[in-house]
Amino acid sequence: MQPTRTFDLRRAPARALIALLCLTGLGPVGCATSPPADDPEALESFRQTNDPLEPLNRVVFAVNVETDRYILKPVAYVYKEAVPEPVQDAIGNFLQNLSSPAVFLNAALQGDADHAGATLLRFAINSTVGLAGTVDIAGEMGIVRRDEDFGQTLAVWGADEGPYIVLPFLGPSNARDALGIAVDYFADPWTYLRYEKFNYSRFGAEIVDARARNFDLLNDLEKTSIDYYAAVRSLYRQDRRDAIANGAEAALPPLPDIPDDEEDLEDEEREPARRPAK
Amino acid sequence: MRTKRENPPADRQSRNVRRPWAALLVAAVLLVPFIRPAVAGGAEAFIQSTADKVFTSYTGEITDEQRAKAFREILTATFELGTIARFTLGRYWRAASSDQRKEYRRLFEDFLVLAYANRFRDLGGVKLRIASVRAINKRDQLVQSEVDPGGGRPPIRIGWRVRETGQGLRIVDVIVDGISMSITQRDQFAAAIRSSGGKIAGLLAMLRDKTGPRQ
Repeated sequence: MQPTRTFDLRRAPARALIALLCLTGLGPVGCATSPPADDPEALESFRQTNDPLEPLNRVVFAVNVETDRYILKPVAYVYKEAVPEPVQDAIGNFLQNLSSPAVFLNAALQGDADHAGATLLRFAINSTVGLAGTVDIAGEMGIVRRDEDFGQTLAVWGADEGPYIVLPFLGPSNARDALGIAVDYFADPWTYLRYEKFNYSRFGAEIVDARARNFDLLNDLEKTSIDYYAAVRSLYRQDRRDAIANGAEAALPPLPDIPDDEEDLEDEEREPARRPAK
Repeated sequence: MRTKRENPPADRQSRNVRRPWAALLVAAVLLVPFIRPAVAGGAEAFIQSTADKVFTSYTGEITDEQRAKAFREILTATFELGTIARFTLGRYWRAASSDQRKEYRRLFEDFLVLAYANRFRDLGGVKLRIASVRAINKRDQLVQSEVDPGGGRPPIRIGWRVRETGQGLRIVDVIVDGISMSITQRDQFAAAIRSSGGKIAGLLAMLRDKTGPRQ
């Protein structure tokens, strides 16, 4: 039994249709069933989950998981196992270096002059001394890499994340970050290179590289989740919050006041005594 | 931070004897700055030794079962599992019966061993570096640390939320690169309960299914 899959793939088209209808406003009901208004706690948790499109998202997620299982994961596995590690590192560095102009642009748009400068310097050093970006010389010099994208830029400008969205093939996102992906695509200078093959290869390589790097983590997560979809949704939100704050401690997820369970333990211990003997 | 522990000149010593209040005042002024760091140092040392235990028990050729066993020992000795279990059940804790709570706590421990024992297998022998310690509230402190995974990869940031309990210091949350273990589990458990019609029994069945018979 696989409790992580809460629906049957054969019924996916019907669900997708329902979700599509509710998305376009044609459906008679809301997308995810909102809890009754007389249950404020349930309503609050519904709001906090921030996933009104959950039924549709789960369908797309399931398709992504299957696509991953049969295509991306095997490819990433072969890449990870067959390609020598130094070559993998070189490819990873090369791809990261290519993204530097976009990172520079976003750092600048966020008003982070220090990081914009550092990124520019990294690009200059690694593109030349670092053999076209294959060696991260700048990193070894202590100029650390940190990714910035337009989703983060929008967040720095004060934009709300919007509802959680699972994008086909691209995976977890939200309204703000999805818009960010589109803007980054057009803002990336390499997009305007006349070599389409280069851009397709770069896109493909980025996906395989990322999947290979997170190979064990994603496998472990899928294997050990009670609800893989919900676990990924939670991780995505926390990860983005961390990225937006550039890992600053102040922006740690608001640490909930974890209640002590001592009182309840006492309750539990007292309870049998209070209960009338049967 | 170290104090100078030079012996005071003899004449001052004799003066201090004559004026005991002055000596007391000096002692108080010298000691005050050390009260807070002494507490923080406790959390720091606690995390350092816990991390060393985790990372050394991962070195060498050991099987997944041995790793799980070592992990469970460290987990039960250093984590406030009752509190974490209760937090991760969120608002459903109150609705749970006493038996359900007990079973949940047992399953939750098994689940943590399953989910995390092998997550850090590549970190055998790494060294944890404490970056900072700060108080979150009256009882909790946040110990920020870093681990260098090697291979040119960026350092992993690990935050430990440590609570002063009746049994001494205990961990109530671990935050890896900004991702809180307690929050992640709470979120997916809430989703699991919702998908089983708001029934805790549904989550318990899934956990039972996932963890299998206890090793």
